[in-house]
Amino acid sequence: MERGTAERIEEPSEKCDWMGAARIAASCETFHPDEEDEQVADELLSCYNCRYRRWTAASFDCSKKKK
Amino acid sequence: MRVLISIDDTDNLESPGTGALASRIASDLEKNIWGKCGFITRHQLLIHPDIPYTSHNSSMCFSAEIADIYLEKVIKHASEFLARESAAESDPGLCVAVIDHLSEPDELILFGQTAKQSVLTKESAYELARRAGVHLSEHGGTGQGVIGALAGAGLRLSGNDGRLKGQLTFDEPAGVVSVAALRARNDIDEVRTLDGSAVTNRDMVRLGEKVKTVLLGGKSVLLVIAADSASDGAPWQTCPRQLLKRY
Repeated sequence: MERGTAERIEEPSEKCDWMGAARIAASCETFHPDEEDEQVADELLSCYNCRYRRWTAASFDCSKKKK
Repeated sequence: MRVLISIDDTDNLESPGTGALASRIASDLEKNIWGKCGFITRHQLLIHPDIPYTSHNSSMCFSAEIADIYLEKVIKHASEFLARESAAESDPGLCVAVIDHLSEPDELILFGQTAKQSVLTKESAYELARRAGVHLSEHGGTGQGVIGALAGAGLRLSGNDGRLKGQLTFDEPAGVVSVAALRARNDIDEVRTLDGSAVTNRDMVRLGEKVKTVLLGGKSVLLVIAADSASDGAPWQTCPRQLLKRY
C-alpha cells in the first residue's frame, strides 16, 4: 500500500493492526521516524512510529495523506 | 529545593520535539551549575478535536534539585529558551513548580489527571497555578501550551503517569539479564510484572530490542511480562512498546 491509501489504523483499545502499519510504512516514501519517545511500535518502520501520523481519539491519520 | 519543570506545545511536524527541548533545558541547567536534573517523563494528554496539538498532545517534565537562589534564573532561562527555540507556529507553555512550596498539590495532580480526560482552558490553568503557587507562563502563539505544561507537572507529581524519555542500553542487546542486575542499574528503580506477579532477583529477563521504563510510584519501573515459548529459559521478557503505549 502507498502513502495516501492508509486511511485509519485503529489503536489497541479498539482494533490494532501493527502488521498492517509496518507493511504500509515499509513502502511509504514519506515515512519519517518520530522521536524515540513518541514511538510505540517495536519495529521502527511502522506508521505508529512515523512523525507524520497524527493521533485521533480512536486511531490516527496520516498528515501526508493525499488530499 | 526540588522543582518540576514541565513544557508543552513547542513543536511542529518538522522541528525538534518537545522532549528534545526538555533535554536541552535540563542540560543547560546542569551546565550552568544551577542544579542536578532527574529523568524526563512524557505524559499523554487528551486527544480531542477541540484541543490543538501537533501529532500526539504530550507534555514533557523533569525534576531538578536546585539552590533557592537559582530559581529565578532557571525560570528566566527556560522562558527565553522556549521563546527562542520553539517552532514558529507552536504555542509553548512553561510550568515550574517548587514541590515543597505547593499549596495545592492534590489539585495540581487532579488537574493533570483531568487533562487526560477532558478539555481544559487556559483560564483554569492560570487560576490553579496562582492558587497552587507555581510559575506558569506562555512563550508564543496562543500560549495554549500552558494547559499541558501545568498538567504535565501534576502528572509527574502524581508519580504514576508516563514513560521515561529515552531507551535503556545494554552491553548485550537482546540478551538475557537477571532481575538483580536490572535492579542494580541507576536508571531502573524497580522491576515489576505488568499484571502484578512477583519477580525475584534470581529470575532472568529476556531483553527486547527497545527497552523503556515507566513512572510508577514515583520510580523508574521496568515492566516485564511472561516470556513467550522461545524464551531461552527466561521466565520473563521486557514489555513490548505496544503495551507501554497506555502509560
